[in-house]
Order: sequence, then structure tokens, then C-alpha cells
Amino acid sequence: MINQEVKRSLILSNEKSKKFDPSRREFLVTIGTAIAALGVGYAIGYLTKPAQIIERTITSLPTITGATTSPPPGTTTPAIAELSPVAQRAVLGIKKLIADGKISPGTTLRILHVTGSKAQLEKAIELWRKYVPEINIELVTQGTEPDVYTKAMNEAVTKSGSYDIITIFSTWLGDAVESGLAKDLTDYYNKYDPGYTGECAPIEPLGSYVTLYKGRRYAVDLDSDVFTLTYRKDLLNDPKYKDEFKSMYGYELKVPDTWEEVIDIAEYFTNKKLTSPRGGRVWGAYFYAEPAFAAYITWTNIFLEAGGILFDLNTMDPKIDSPEGRYAFNILLKLKPYMPPEALSASWADLYDKYIHGESVLTAAWPSLTKMAISSPDSVVKNVTGTALMPGVKVNIGGKTTIVKASPNPVNWVGIVDNYSKYPEAAYLFLQFMTAPDIGLEVVLSGVILDLFRKCWFTDPTYRSKAISGYGEDFVNIYMTAIEYSYPDFILRGGPEYASKLTTAVNSVLAGTLDPEKALSNVSSDWDSITKKYGVDSQLSAWRSLAQLFPESIKNVWRAKGYMK
Amino acid sequence: MPEKIPRSVAVLSSVPLNLLLNGVLIIPFIIMIYLAFIKWSPLMGIEWWRAPFAGISNFQRAFSDSRFIDSLGRTVLFTAIVVPLEFFIGLILAYILQKPIKGRKYLISILIYPLMLPPVVVATVFYLFFQPYGPVNNIFLRYIMGPSALDIYWFLNPSLAFITIIIADVWQWTPFMFLILYSGLSAVPRRLVEAAEVLGASGWTIFWRIRLPLIRQLIMVALILRSLEAFKVFDYIYVMTGGGPGTSTESVSLYIYRLAILYSDISYAAAVSLIVLVIILLVSRFAIRFLLERR
Amino acid sequence: MVRNYISNILLWLILVVAIIWTLIPVIWMISLSFKPYGEWRTPSLLPQKPTLDNYIMLFWPKSASVFIAYTALLEPITDSLIRSLIVSVLATLIAVIIGFFTAYGASRYNSPGPFTLFFTLLTRMLPPATFVTPIVIYYTTLNLLDNIIGLVLLYSATTVTYAIWILKGFIDAIPVEWEEAALIEGAKPLQVIFRVVIPLARPGLVVSGLFVFLMSWTELLFALVLTRINITLPVQISMYVTAVGALWGVQAAAALLGSLIPMIVGYLIQRHLITGFTFGLVRG
Repeated sequence: MINQEVKRSLILSNEKSKKFDPSRREFLVTIGTAIAALGVGYAIGYLTKPAQIIERTITSLPTITGATTSPPPGTTTPAIAELSPVAQRAVLGIKKLIADGKISPGTTLRILHVTGSKAQLEKAIELWRKYVPEINIELVTQGTEPDVYTKAMNEAVTKSGSYDIITIFSTWLGDAVESGLAKDLTDYYNKYDPGYTGECAPIEPLGSYVTLYKGRRYAVDLDSDVFTLTYRKDLLNDPKYKDEFKSMYGYELKVPDTWEEVIDIAEYFTNKKLTSPRGGRVWGAYFYAEPAFAAYITWTNIFLEAGGILFDLNTMDPKIDSPEGRYAFNILLKLKPYMPPEALSASWADLYDKYIHGESVLTAAWPSLTKMAISSPDSVVKNVTGTALMPGVKVNIGGKTTIVKASPNPVNWVGIVDNYSKYPEAAYLFLQFMTAPDIGLEVVLSGVILDLFRKCWFTDPTYRSKAISGYGEDFVNIYMTAIEYSYPDFILRGGPEYASKLTTAVNSVLAGTLDPEKALSNVSSDWDSITKKYGVDSQLSAWRSLAQLFPESIKNVWRAKGYMK
Repeated sequence: MPEKIPRSVAVLSSVPLNLLLNGVLIIPFIIMIYLAFIKWSPLMGIEWWRAPFAGISNFQRAFSDSRFIDSLGRTVLFTAIVVPLEFFIGLILAYILQKPIKGRKYLISILIYPLMLPPVVVATVFYLFFQPYGPVNNIFLRYIMGPSALDIYWFLNPSLAFITIIIADVWQWTPFMFLILYSGLSAVPRRLVEAAEVLGASGWTIFWRIRLPLIRQLIMVALILRSLEAFKVFDYIYVMTGGGPGTSTESVSLYIYRLAILYSDISYAAAVSLIVLVIILLVSRFAIRFLLERR
Repeated sequence: MVRNYISNILLWLILVVAIIWTLIPVIWMISLSFKPYGEWRTPSLLPQKPTLDNYIMLFWPKSASVFIAYTALLEPITDSLIRSLIVSVLATLIAVIIGFFTAYGASRYNSPGPFTLFFTLLTRMLPPATFVTPIVIYYTTLNLLDNIIGLVLLYSATTVTYAIWILKGFIDAIPVEWEEAALIEGAKPLQVIFRVVIPLARPGLVVSGLFVFLMSWTELLFALVLTRINITLPVQISMYVTAVGALWGVQAAAALLGSLIPMIVGYLIQRHLITGFTFGLVRG
């Protein structure tokens, strides 16, 4: 009944609707489409001319403080002679390439990199332009490291030559080489000498382990990422705390030399329940344990100092399911109650945030932590930040008990040349130029994520005072030694995967969802499948070369334990 | 409608679609299928078309991969919780907003705001929300629970972490359901509603017996589309929990992402993706057949 | 009577709760976007020292004091905004137009048949991560990388299924008799579509258009992988989480700004959601 009526009224209103004027509609539609099409066409034209237009748009936006980048090229040509020999060779090298017709003036080289290094790369480009205005350098910036990794791997697959230089983590070097992405630079090293020997060389063992893979050079070092122990000088030197600590623990409150001391100090300060200026709780310690990527850093540090070796040097079997591995978990589990809970769940930047707001007493991270502590406007620990070597582990070597110290060097930016680039030699020369003793220091000091790596920056008075202006004297005093004690990241094919499996396990153990024994055996079998996936022989040869590049402090223990001959 | 389909309609309804889909998607899809049957990773240093044939070994590996199976189960659970929740809340809201309330347009604009943000941003906001220093612990729960609220560590407990993901997803996607249902309900002919009102039906009856059945097709569409998307949940987990603690909140999408992008294990990732695809295909085929073909 | 009253109050309550629930994260984001660096990780609802710095960072990066000594400064946000707008609008036009005709054919003439329709759902069933490498390989050969057209094609191809299914739902609800009547009276099929179906399917067009627009506007994964220099808005927003630490406040500001355009679109389309079923009032 209802339906009949409804239907009838529907049909009636249908009649009415058909009387809506069609021609006006059509007119509107036509005009609208025309305008839209014009707009679309214009916009496509505008935006498919990417680089120049965008640059124009950017420079035409008003800047409030009116910062300018560099003087227009061609005003003065500074004398090449005032450059360091390393940089001179690079500049002369590229001029020769241009003269020989191997690369034409006006060519643009592209660098794929992460936003964090933009300021520093722009500085390098600015300096380059002074001496080599004929060759342009263009930056292709990615937001985060995984994006750089993805693009790099895609480039390895498509071989398009869309980039000439890629800045990667040393951890990815194995992947970059084995996938055919990274060009072998050994011949260029020999031809142009980037200054890897002598008083101004990148500090060993870092200079070697970060650029060599299976004995050949595949990268140019841009950076160092060695961890140091950062501590609150004021709290550790306070006489009140010193007295109380001595009476409670039986030894002097001092900068910790071993992880056991770290636990004591952390326990002491955490129990004091101090508060930070912004009202937060002060924790005794904050070391990396987060799930996304950094938890493996702390664990591996303790493991290696205890004398553990990651893989057997004869068979490539994982050797983490060992007393040293258990010891590492032991320490971390004991340390956990004295670390903020965010250590297990927040991102790596949270460690920085807590420290500079005065909410942790002992911590460890990249050099940028010290930089931030002394110069960030929000830092409340500017004058009380002390630096020391990472705590070590007491090991019995040949009847004598020594404290073995080693510093992690996770990630570490290096520059590789895209194997499919049209101008590999020129690309390499830019890398040599920007890492030269003089240019390199300026680059490092203009930003955050690329840090000091050449020896003379610590030993030569002029360079050293510049370094101190950026990092503070305390830090500069210790950092060179830290680098000498540093060990490489997992610079193997599948490095990120090995590290990721370990990180997940460490985080699970600390979160209480996995027990250490199970974790060690799980990770061992995971690592084993990774190794088998790529071929034991190939992985073994890479591991053998890498193991030789570890610092003496660790190799000594390996030899003492018979892991290494 | 007449039996014979007019030429213009025939062309317009199939040619553009075919051009678009086949031109853009078919070839990459075929590449992906090929990748699943070979043993290849960019890290092997060989061309992908030269890589050795692997038969079904990738698929066999997937079936004994406990991390994969766990993530699958977890994702199914997630979808089963989230979609009905969003549907019912969306339905209630759509019902409420049928009434001519003042400022309805603004209210609707507010309600659909979550859709305007990239999921990554929403994930970031909720990530900050649930940190120990975030507002959830410090402001909201404090009122209810007092200072012990500060001891709740959302991301350290697998179940709590799971709840935070659900909350993020519900916040962002309930408006999707709401909008589809609301627009569907609004499109119901006024005639029918008014006729029913004249005949004395209550608001509730009108809703249940007239409006809802008319948009039943739309409801099914909404449920299916939303379920497909929910199954691919990625951003919230990636940003908020990192799959953690450990891998206890890792979804299928996140695991595949890690396999493909972080571990560069592309062949295996392709095989896993295909398995997931087939599972979803079968399930949705049955769901659609069962639900939609009751005309 | 009383039951009515109580249920009204209940419904009102639900609405209010829903509004508040929706607004809380938004308000927090707004407040975050006005907070200076030091306050990003604090729970306070309102900034103690509000600043415009985060917004300045979006347009004049070199002048913002946010981390000025530390961060790499990004490009101003205007370019990626414009690019996202173009990509989203184009993708929406393509997806909705193609979707509409496909939906119409499927609804009225069963062409394409149910199998093809189901097949289009495939584009939404695949977890995207593995699709990345194949599409990069494909686009490299076609030279469509870092190209707006490439993105538009990908977005419209992956969202057209939404348009088809939603529109089919709406078209199915339109009584067939009207078109049949028009056809009998001698109108050509295309005329019938344009004069009868489209006006009546307006809510469907508008809703599916909005969804496609939103999906293109907020899509991140493929934009990240397929663009190099010509980045879209979501990519730019993601870049505020840098290697030096996350600029939460700036990211919040960018996201809020980026949501303005969809908001405006969403508001404007609402009047189309009440359909033309109501014109032509019949009295009596």
C-alpha cells in the first residue's frame, strides 16, 4: 500500500525534475572544464620543470633574517695553493678531467643523502663552488635513513644512474657492495691519495673499517659516530654524594670504569629521586635499549668488551650464545630498573632529550649528544657535561686482569660512488675534496650529524682549537682515544638484518617478554639463516676481513681466548 | 533495462578502466609474482631476471614462519575488533546526524576531520599521547586513577600496546564509516520518509525498516572496503610501537615491509604478500557472495 | 514521551562525546604546533611559552630558530602543497570519472560483470610494501619516476576501485524506472546518464571524490619511493622527523596546515550530500 503511493509520487517528482534546464548545465560544465583544463595544463607545465622553478620559488620567498648562501660565482677565484694537498689534488684532478673532455662544464652531479646532513653538504658545495664553479652539485634529500636505504637499493636494482654519490651508513656498506651499487674506489685512492696515511689520516682503526670491504676501498669516510660515556660532572663530583656513596658502596664515587660500577652509580642516583628543572625524574642511567634499531648497540658493546666474538672466524657460526652473551644480558637486566622506562619504548632521540634536560646522570650516544648538551638553547647541562670512554669489562688475559674498553661506532656516514653514475671519477673527487683536512673540518663544524674523524683535527693546534669551539675541550680531549678504541658496526651483507634481529631480541628480553637463553638461541639461528641465505663463504670472507680491523683492545682478548690466532 | 547494452555505455564502462588498471598495475604485478617464484635479493648482486628459479620454496618457508603466522593472526584479530567497532559508532553517529541539528555542517566537518590527516601524523600524535610523559597518563588517567596512572607504560605491555593501536585506528577511520553511512542515509528519497511519517511510523522504525535496508548495498561496500584497509594496518604500528615490545604487535603489513625494505628479502616478501593476497581474496569472495547477492 | 526524551538526551550525549573524542588529539596538535622545542615532550595541554616559530619554519626555514644551529633546513612547504593539490585533483577526476562509468555499466547492464568488479578489489588487497620494487622497476623504464603524472596514474589506478564500489552502491539505489522511462521516450543512453543519473548520484560522486582526494592527499609510502625532488605534502611532513631528532611541533604545524585544504573541500561538498531527490516537491 505504501509502496504504490510512494511510487506514484516518485514518478510525479521525476516529471518535475526533468524540466530542469539542460542547456544552462551544459554551459556551466563546458566553461568549468575549460578553466580546469587550462589550470591543469599550466600547473603541469609549472611543476614538470622541477629544479630551476623550485629554486626560484624558494629564493623568492622573503627571508626574515635575510641569510644568503654564497657570493655569486666568478667574483674572485681563490688561489688553489692555499688548500691542503688533499684538496688540491682533488681540484686539480677535476680540472684535468674537464680539460680532457671526460666531463663537460655545466654538468650536475647528484648526491642522495638524508636531511640531517643537508647543512653540512651545503657547506661543502659552497666551498666546492669557489674552486670548481664549472661542476654543479645537486642535493637529493630524503627525510630519514630508511628512505635513503630504500632509494639506494632501488637504484641497485634499476641501475638508472640517477645519483652520482650516495651517503650511506657504514652498516649498509656490505649491502651496497654486494648488490653492485658501490663502485670500487681503490684505484682512485691510489691515483689521488685522499690522505689516509700520515699525521692527518682518519684515525685508525675507524678510517679502515669504515671504508674497506673484503680488502678493497668502497667508500670515503665522512664522519665518525663513536659513542662516549657522557656524565654529569656536578653530580659525580659533589662532596655530599661522594661521602654517601663511599659509605654505601665502599669505593670512591668516580667516572665508572666498568659496567658494574655503572650499575652501582645508577642505582645510587636513581634512589635519590632527584628532580630536573622541568620537573621530571632524574634517572641514574640511560643507555640504548629501544626496539626500532638501537638496542643492539649497548648489548654488543658489553658483549665485545667481555671478549665475545660475533661469528666464528673459521665457520661463520654465530658465537653469541656464549658466556659473554649471557653476561651482556645480565648487566642490562641489572641496569634496567635504573633507566627510565622510555628507554625501552621511545625513539633514540628521547635519550638526548632526557640528558639535556638534566634527567639522566650517566648516558652514552653519538657526538651530537655532546654538541647538543653544550650548545642547545634548551640544555640545562651546558657546563656540567663530562666525557669519558665507554665503561669496560674486567677480563682475565694471560693471568692478568685488565679492564677491556671499546667504543661502539654505530652507523657512521660514508660516501659511496654510484656504480652506474656517468661521472664516477668526478663524483669521487668531490668526496675527496669535501673530506680533506681543511675543507673537511669546516664541513664538520657547520652541522650536526657529520663529526670529527681526522687525527690532525685533534693534534694540530689550529685545527684543534676550531674543534674545541664546536665540541668543547672535555670532549675533544677524550674523543680521539675513543675513536682509537672503536669497533665497526655490522659491516657485512645483511648487516641491517643481523642488527635488527638482535635489537628485537634485546628489547624483548628487557621488556620481559623473552628470556635471555631463548633470545640468544633465537638470534643465533636467525643469524645463521641470514648467513646461509647469502652464502657462508662470501659472508665468511667479509667477516674475516672485518675482524682484522677491530681495535687491538678487542683483538687481544680474542687472541687470549683463542677465538683469533 | 534493455537487454542489449548500448555501444557508448559498453565502451565507457570498460575501456577506460582497463586502460588504467592494465597500463599502470598489471606489469608490476606480474613482476611481483615472478619474484615470488625465484630466489632473489638485490644483495645477491645479480639481475632479477637472471636469478635462480625457486619453485614454491618461498611459499613453503612462509608456512613454517612463526613470525608470519603470528602476525597474520594478530592482524585478523585487529580487523575483527576494529571494523565492527567503527561500523557501529559510525552508524549511531550517522543516525543522530540525520536530524536537522543547528550547525550540522560544522559538526560533520569536525567529525570527519581525522580523515584529512596522513595516517603517519595521526600515529605520531598518538605515539606522543601514550608516552609516559604524554597527556593520556598525565592528564586523563590522573583524574580517574590518581598518581598511579603514571606507572602505566602503554608500549611496554603487548596488550596495552595493542589497545593503543586500536584506539588510533578507530579515531582515524570511524569517520569513514560515518561519512559513507551518512551520505547513504541522506540519499534516501525524502518521499519515502515523509510518506512513512505521515502514516505514523516512529523515527526509529523509519530508520530500521526503511532507510537501512535501502542502503544495505552501501553498508556492505563500506564494510568490505574498510576491512581490506584495516587488514593492511601499518602506519600506527610502525610509528607507535615499532612492532614491539619485540614483535608482539607486528602486523602482516609491517612484517612484509621489514622483509622487503629492511632485510631486502624481496622474493620472500613477494611470496608472503601473495599468500596474504590469496587469503584475503578467498575470504572476501565468500563474504561478498554471501552478503551481496541477496537482492 | 518520556522514552523519547531519554533517548534524545542519550543521543545528544553520544554526539557530544564523539565530538570531544575527535577534538582532543586535534586540540593537542594545535597546541603542539605553538609549543617551542623544549615543551614538545611535556604533557601540558597549553604551551607555556607559545611561539609562532614552528609555522615560520614551514615557510621560511632559514629564519626559524627551531634548532637553527642543528637541523638541516628543509624547503618551504608551499611547493609540496601545490604539488599534492595537483596530484590529488587529477587523481580524483580520473578515478571518479572512470569509476562512475564503470559503476553505471555494472549496475544497469552488468558490464563489467561481477567478476571484474571483484577483481578491481585486488588493487586494495595487496600490502603495499612488496609492490614497491616492481613499480620502481616499471616506472624507471617508463621514465615516470619523480613525476607528477606517474603519481597521478598510480593513485587513480589504486583508488578507482573505491569510486566504482561506492558509486555502484549509490546508483543501485536509484530506481531504474526513471532511466527506462527516459529511454522509452527516445533519449540516448548518454543523455540519460548525464541528465538523470548524474544529478541523482551526486552524493555518491561527491563522497567517492572526497575519499579518492583524501587518499591521494595523505598517501605516503609510494610518494616517498617514487619521488626524488618533486615531493608531495605527506613526504615533506614526514621529513620533519630528521636524523637529528623529531621536530614534533613543526610536524604538527605542517599537518594542520596540510589538512586545511581537505577540510575546506569536505565542508563545501556537504550540500551535495542532500540529494536532488527533494527537488520537485509534490503538494498534496
